[in-house]
Amino acid sequence: MRSRTVQGSVAIAATASLALAACGGAGGPQSGGSSKLTDDKVVIGLLNDQSGVYKDLSGPNSKTAIELAIEDYKAKYGDKAVANTIEVVTADHQNKADIANSKAQEMYDRQKADIILDVPNSAAALAVATQAKNKKKLYINIGAGTTALTGASCNRYTFHWAYNTAVLARGTAGTITKEGGTSWNIVYPDYAFGQDMNKSFTKEVTGAGGSVGESIASPFPSDNFATFITKAGEGNPKVVGSMHAGGDLINFVKQFNQSPLKGKVQLAVGLMFITDIHSLGVDQFAGTQFTDAWYWNFDEQNKKWADRFKQKTNTRPSFAHAANYSAAMNYLEAVQTAGTDDADKVVGTLEGKKINDVFLRNGEIRKADHAVTHDVYLAKVKSSAPEEWDYEQIVKTIPAAEAYGEANPACSMS
Amino acid sequence: MTDDTTSTASSAGARTATASAPAAERRSRMLEVTGLSAWYGEARVLSDVSIDVAPGEVVTLVGRNGAGKTTLLRSVMGLHPQMQGTISLDGADLGRRSADARARAGIGWVPDDRGIYASLTVAENLLLPPVVHPDAWPIERVYEFFPVLHERRDFPGTKLSGGEQQMLAMARVLRMGSRLLLLDEPSEGLAPVIVQRIGEIIREIKGQGVGVLLVEQNVKFASTVADRHYLLAQGQVVEHLGNDDFTAREGELLTYLGM
Amino acid sequence: MSEFIQYTLQGLAAGGFYALSALGLAVIFGVLGVVNFSHGACYMLGAVISAVLLAELHVGFWVALLVVPILMYGFGVLMERLLVRWLLALDPLYNFLLTFGLTLILVEAVKQRYGVSGLPYEIPAGLGGQVTIGSVNLSVYAIFACVFSVVVCVGVGLALTRTRIGMIVRAATEAPERTRALGINVGRWVTPVFGFGIALAGLAGVLAAPTRAITAEMGSNFIIVLFAVVVIGGLGSILGAVVAGFLVGLVEAYGIAYAPTYAQIVIFVLMALVVLVRPSGLFGREEIA
Repeated sequence: MRSRTVQGSVAIAATASLALAACGGAGGPQSGGSSKLTDDKVVIGLLNDQSGVYKDLSGPNSKTAIELAIEDYKAKYGDKAVANTIEVVTADHQNKADIANSKAQEMYDRQKADIILDVPNSAAALAVATQAKNKKKLYINIGAGTTALTGASCNRYTFHWAYNTAVLARGTAGTITKEGGTSWNIVYPDYAFGQDMNKSFTKEVTGAGGSVGESIASPFPSDNFATFITKAGEGNPKVVGSMHAGGDLINFVKQFNQSPLKGKVQLAVGLMFITDIHSLGVDQFAGTQFTDAWYWNFDEQNKKWADRFKQKTNTRPSFAHAANYSAAMNYLEAVQTAGTDDADKVVGTLEGKKINDVFLRNGEIRKADHAVTHDVYLAKVKSSAPEEWDYEQIVKTIPAAEAYGEANPACSMS
Repeated sequence: MTDDTTSTASSAGARTATASAPAAERRSRMLEVTGLSAWYGEARVLSDVSIDVAPGEVVTLVGRNGAGKTTLLRSVMGLHPQMQGTISLDGADLGRRSADARARAGIGWVPDDRGIYASLTVAENLLLPPVVHPDAWPIERVYEFFPVLHERRDFPGTKLSGGEQQMLAMARVLRMGSRLLLLDEPSEGLAPVIVQRIGEIIREIKGQGVGVLLVEQNVKFASTVADRHYLLAQGQVVEHLGNDDFTAREGELLTYLGM
Repeated sequence: MSEFIQYTLQGLAAGGFYALSALGLAVIFGVLGVVNFSHGACYMLGAVISAVLLAELHVGFWVALLVVPILMYGFGVLMERLLVRWLLALDPLYNFLLTFGLTLILVEAVKQRYGVSGLPYEIPAGLGGQVTIGSVNLSVYAIFACVFSVVVCVGVGLALTRTRIGMIVRAATEAPERTRALGINVGRWVTPVFGFGIALAGLAGVLAAPTRAITAEMGSNFIIVLFAVVVIGGLGSILGAVVAGFLVGLVEAYGIAYAPTYAQIVIFVLMALVVLVRPSGLFGREEIA
């Protein structure tokens, strides 16, 4: 089956280039290219949180990132571009699975989206994965952390591009434990994401030779963490892990900094984004370690792209923005290679592909579970920001193999 | 409601003055209600009621429960917006003036539940309303007249006994200087000796030219203090009697009222 | 034992803050009969304005503590004059819905202008760090916030019991109609009281800024806790709001300490129990005739 797909796509690519060649420079690619595209165009759907907690992390600025990818694709292939008409449609899923579900349906059916990108929030992400599977259309998730996307809910049309909770746990819990932070207490928000994070972290701490004394569930959402922090300090652990996100995380860190644990106990954060540091200020987070999938000021290549992004948005990109760019770019490249936007053929060219681009280093689209594995980074929050958004010091690059481990055994591609 | 001798004696003068009350000319009408109708939603509770009260005159509204007596007082006070007809005070139409404006114009309301504030002390209950007339009782006079209120001035208002609360409610409008009192069943549920005391207070303020519109089911008590009586039934004035006629027909009226 | 003392102190510290935050809600309900759903949003505005004052005008915490309530008072006056007033004569549900709608507008507006990740704020100088007595620890800021809240609550309490305005507000709270019939223009006090209630919400917001996430949504969860506080204390009862504030703070701390999973439910269980035993709350007036 797989080999036939590859064969087919190669054949089609060949035909396409023949057709292009036949047309020559005069007629342009319309006659050749357009016939290979459904509805004569490629439609990229961006479905994410445009108004809620993940708005700054990804939100509307991800559209800009996707547009940069389209710009680069067109510049690269010019007249030879298979996808010469590319549209981006966006929708706000408000972090609700039911809205994500109906918006995804609308995108695939009515707006003729060939692919849906981003979809932060795990519940929403899983709802869209089901739609992708049923409609047989592509879906690259970026914003969500759940390992179920590449586990129990994995399918032929779904890819998980940037990170997952297991990667965060290996990066943060594994590294800190190995460096001597052997006794932990964990506070986690009491819903699917928090429970998942707690399990992953506990597993990694224990696996690296450490121990977790207490795992304390906090109601979600919560404003007052003072007593939770007192409880987390009982038994004198070396590390307190906060598995909170968004506003809860900020509440936790602010109140941690006012507690006697500050300076005595190391604070490790399960899931943190650069936008969180930006909103709370570096001094509040100073020294906190966390795993980041990408950092804009890591090297020249990243910086250059971040400068382009800043010109359009007046802000620095988060990892999610860069990942949206990377996903859109690689999708368009796959269409180019396949010579069509036919989902099955595009999947065929994506599977197993090794990629190095501005977002993915040592990247590979793992065929077995569609996790896109790549190097991730253990970051430490700087004590002061040399410039706005320059908040992270990359302590360590965690190689892709170490960060992602083996393919998820819970996944059976059907 | 016994012990008529003292009250009859002290109110004799007033009674003679208005012996032929309904027909008598009253030059200055303090309160004049004309063609008043009032509703609760769809239900009409007053139909075309006209009554008046002169300064220094005590007028009662007598009738069964639900006859519309309290609604009439509330309408005069401006607390019942669903009404038609005119209500004027000292010749000036009150129109749609608000309750607080009416109170400042000199109408003092003593509701049937006495209206004492639980969250205010006795003294605060007395001092809450503004003084609206130069003839208002100074607080010293109030305390002199009602020693028990002075004694209990720092108690929460509702810690007083029923009778004391009634005293307080009346003292409050006297301290305010109201010229027309609307008293809603002041004798209700009180011991005879207290009722008698209330009668004395009413006669005292009557002597100062204050007009009183008194809602009362206690016919005996009413006859000891009032000059005229309006009998209200099903929202209409069915009889208008001077106090002599009223006293003479007391038995008949009691039967009519079902008491 | 020292753990128990620790939790108790933390509960009291949080309780003082709850008391102050619920106070404005109780005052407004008491005098206007309006259940002001936007109290949480006004609390959020107080915190956001503090953060904006700090970031854009370098106006610090101490000044914000004074300026923000004044600004919020103005906002409350506008809100009452332009919106709330017109629905006062109708069923209280209308104003509840109005303030609910207003909450959505305020939250969205702040999101549009300041994003969703939140705004930074520093602990004011001198209020960082902890106080340690034996094995018991408390953050200096938590102690400050609690003491400040208690001072404000006591101040409001004194103003209510010792001044003529306070007397009028108490009377109008207990029986608005009767108070009008005693010659007091209750309507004239409605606007300042509403403004005052909103100013208190804003003040609570300033107090929250150094210790809580300043986001557009920060009031959305908090208002539910505050509703529990005023229901437990007795709707409209100012003393009730203060006592219930401390009670909720304590119950929450013990809940977290001894039954963390149920920490938030505990407050609402307490609320249900109080309402079952005393439907009008701990300090509510029982007669509603």
